[in-house]
Amino acid sequence: MFGKLYKWVDSRTGIQDSLEEALYENIPGGAKWRYVSGSMLVFAFMTQAITGIFLWMNYSAGSQNAWASVYYITYNMEGGALLRGIHHVMAQAMVVLLPIHILQVVIEKAYVKPREFNWWLGLVLMKITLALGLTGYLLPWDQKGYWATKVATELAALPPIVGGYIQKIVVGGNEYGHFTLTRFFALHAGVLPGLLVGFLVLHLAMFRKHGITAHSSEKRADQMFWPMQVLKDGVACALLFGLVVYVAIIHPAELGPPAEPTEPYGAARPEWYFLFLFQMLKYFDGSMGWNNEFVGAIVFPGVVFGFMFLMPFIARIKVGHAFNVLLIAALVGGAGYLTYEAHMEDNYNIYNEEDVDSAAYKKAAKYHAEVERADTEFRLIQELVEDYGIPLEGPLALQQRDPYTMGVRLFRRQCASCHAYNATGENAHLAIAGPEIDPNAEGPMGAPDLYGFGSPVWIQGLLNGEEGGITSPKYFGNTSHVEGEMVAHVRDTMWAEAETDEDKAVLKETIEQVSWALAAEAKLPYLDYAGNQDKIESGINHLNDDTLGCVGCHNYKENEFGYVFTLDHYASSEWLTTMISNPNEVYSEDWGTANDRMPAFHSDATKLLTQDEIELLVRFLRQDRTLLGDTPESVEPLQSEAPAEEAETAEVTETTETPAPAESEEDTDETPVDTTQEAIEEESAEEAEEATEE
Amino acid sequence: MSETKISTAKESRRGFFGSFSAWLAAAVGAVIGVGPVCVGLYTFIMEPLRKKQMPRKERDGGSSDPGFFRVASVDEIATDVPRRFTIVADKLDAWNFMKDQALGAVYLQKNEAGDISCYHTTCPHAGCSVAYEQDSNAYHCPCHNSSFNLDGSKLENGGSTNPSPRPLDTLEIKVDEATNTVFVKYEDYYTGRHDKVAK
Ligand code: FES
Repeated sequence: MFGKLYKWVDSRTGIQDSLEEALYENIPGGAKWRYVSGSMLVFAFMTQAITGIFLWMNYSAGSQNAWASVYYITYNMEGGALLRGIHHVMAQAMVVLLPIHILQVVIEKAYVKPREFNWWLGLVLMKITLALGLTGYLLPWDQKGYWATKVATELAALPPIVGGYIQKIVVGGNEYGHFTLTRFFALHAGVLPGLLVGFLVLHLAMFRKHGITAHSSEKRADQMFWPMQVLKDGVACALLFGLVVYVAIIHPAELGPPAEPTEPYGAARPEWYFLFLFQMLKYFDGSMGWNNEFVGAIVFPGVVFGFMFLMPFIARIKVGHAFNVLLIAALVGGAGYLTYEAHMEDNYNIYNEEDVDSAAYKKAAKYHAEVERADTEFRLIQELVEDYGIPLEGPLALQQRDPYTMGVRLFRRQCASCHAYNATGENAHLAIAGPEIDPNAEGPMGAPDLYGFGSPVWIQGLLNGEEGGITSPKYFGNTSHVEGEMVAHVRDTMWAEAETDEDKAVLKETIEQVSWALAAEAKLPYLDYAGNQDKIESGINHLNDDTLGCVGCHNYKENEFGYVFTLDHYASSEWLTTMISNPNEVYSEDWGTANDRMPAFHSDATKLLTQDEIELLVRFLRQDRTLLGDTPESVEPLQSEAPAEEAETAEVTETTETPAPAESEEDTDETPVDTTQEAIEEESAEEAEEATEE
Repeated sequence: MSETKISTAKESRRGFFGSFSAWLAAAVGAVIGVGPVCVGLYTFIMEPLRKKQMPRKERDGGSSDPGFFRVASVDEIATDVPRRFTIVADKLDAWNFMKDQALGAVYLQKNEAGDISCYHTTCPHAGCSVAYEQDSNAYHCPCHNSSFNLDGSKLENGGSTNPSPRPLDTLEIKVDEATNTVFVKYEDYYTGRHDKVAK
């Protein structure tokens, strides 16, 4: 039955002859394991085509969707991580197999007459494979791919006269955007694979025409391609696939944070197999001399490629073949060395742990810090995506509203030259190093470490007159306050007076209570106020009774004799907003040394930060991750005082045109529910707050 | 040249599957050929069948009755004349989450007694969108002439065919007396069948 059907099909299609034609290729000297590299490359390409098409079914080119769809493939899609992993790892396997195949061809003299054309076809296939790697690297549209590919396309502009045009055509205009992605994607998934298939067919046809280069030998009989060589090829490919799947599982394809054109990525590196080219560029300088960038990026590789192209002719002269072998060995060795050098440069800090002060160490450390920062940013965006999903405007729209991502960025840009943010524990990934503080040095370095600012722990440290407390760089750094009245009071009065251990224990308890009373002013969302009511109340009493001598200088509630800033609302959103916008509004002016360096970031005169940016920073400092545009949940540290009244909510009389808070205050006792008004002026916000407290 | 090659080939072979290694080679070849396809097909088939999850912040705290959407207040519904209302809800489209998107539409009407009925706007024939027409006081589908009475039943408009396999699909509603609000349990049904089966 089956035989009959086969005959029927064969008589109409000639399938038998085709199969025989394809599989009964004579192999002089018999099937060998070392003939497998070509088949493995074909198999690798086939795998890329198949996995690529399935990835295509989920990928969306375009600057709002590319990252989002790759994120979805990697983290949400059933089997998506494996699919993308195989595609990612197999691409690298292909680039490893290529030079092996080429080396083999050269060593076995398979490139010389009459196989010149096949050698050239092979070179073209190599270029196409590398171009596939380059174009694919950009498609996830993450920071790494974006900034690394940017370097590559900048190089496209180097050739004189036409360079600029070439670059614009590749990028799809002057700037990176939708067109860059649509073009790269069409190249990566359409043009290049199409070309590759075409040249591969020619390459194989040529190969069949000339047969295998080996000669028959006495020792081993000739064999047909089928079945022994097919079996060997098959086993090799199966091993390759197994290895690729294994690597893809234990080392999944990464995705960085989404590409952000305004946030340069300091650790942009091409895929590792292009690192040697990246490294080579460092050997060419920017002078007008012969060894400029154009020579390094285009002329030199072009000349090398030209040599490879001419190798079949070089082989005709005496010792030409030996020269070719040496040339290829030198190229592979040179590329290997440059790759090694690039790796050592980026990891200098790991291999030379003691050499902390060298420039190389610092550069490598910076590189690693950038990689870590990208990891943190990815972790943050991942949390956002899981919490909120990705909006239609793309991941950046979400990221730009996130107090954590933006807080870290803004802090690094604007605050970290003086302040540190030494986050610990579950927030350790948000830590930002401040300046190195040399206590003996003069100059504008070092201001308080702002991690946990306004929290009881932070305040307890501030009020600690012993080692590691107020005198440590964590608090006043290198500002004039190191010698100021606050330090003098805490160290020389509060703590100096506590002589016995018993006194100290009492002092510590008082400080703890006071710290909670002050933290109650901050209304920090991460504190357990309800569980610390006793401490807060005792602390308030201590402050009112002036147990520690605070209200001699600071105002607090009804104590209004102070001459430095009030402790009311200390470290609250409003307080921080004012402090960042214009610190001189917090510190009373008649106190000369109050603010000796902090600039106003948003005042009439200066606009170093926008109001939105300040809002983001304030939320970051308060560890409140409410997205910009959303209203933070209100925190009421002293809930127990009036629980019944606050539970009730009633409609607030609309007073949009003529707000008269004084009147409505007396009439009704409720908290306003509607807080959607945008850009409430600071003053009115404060008023409203006072109203709710009363 | 090629002829001699083939003739040597033919001499040396013992049939296509004449040896154990031939079978083995075929088996290995099949396995590696199929490997990448399997991974791809798995994602292609499994992903659409997977149950999708809303973003974490949207998951709980929604209405106590999942599937019911607020559509209108009772006063907005006319007596004996259907009115079209849009169903607005949060929508998840692959990686995108969008708030307040139009998911579809329903017709709402009430009778003299105040009983509210609700019809899906999708035609049970093949999924076009039916519309209420005042002139004939009936629902008409613009595609293949299906028509329906106000109570959803098929309109027998003498002579011309009515290809719809079933009456207009009714949807379950709930009225919240306190707020005077109508909630609709909005779902889609397979078209072209005699029975009403939710998708
Ligand atoms: S879809 Fe309505 S009549 Fe066919």
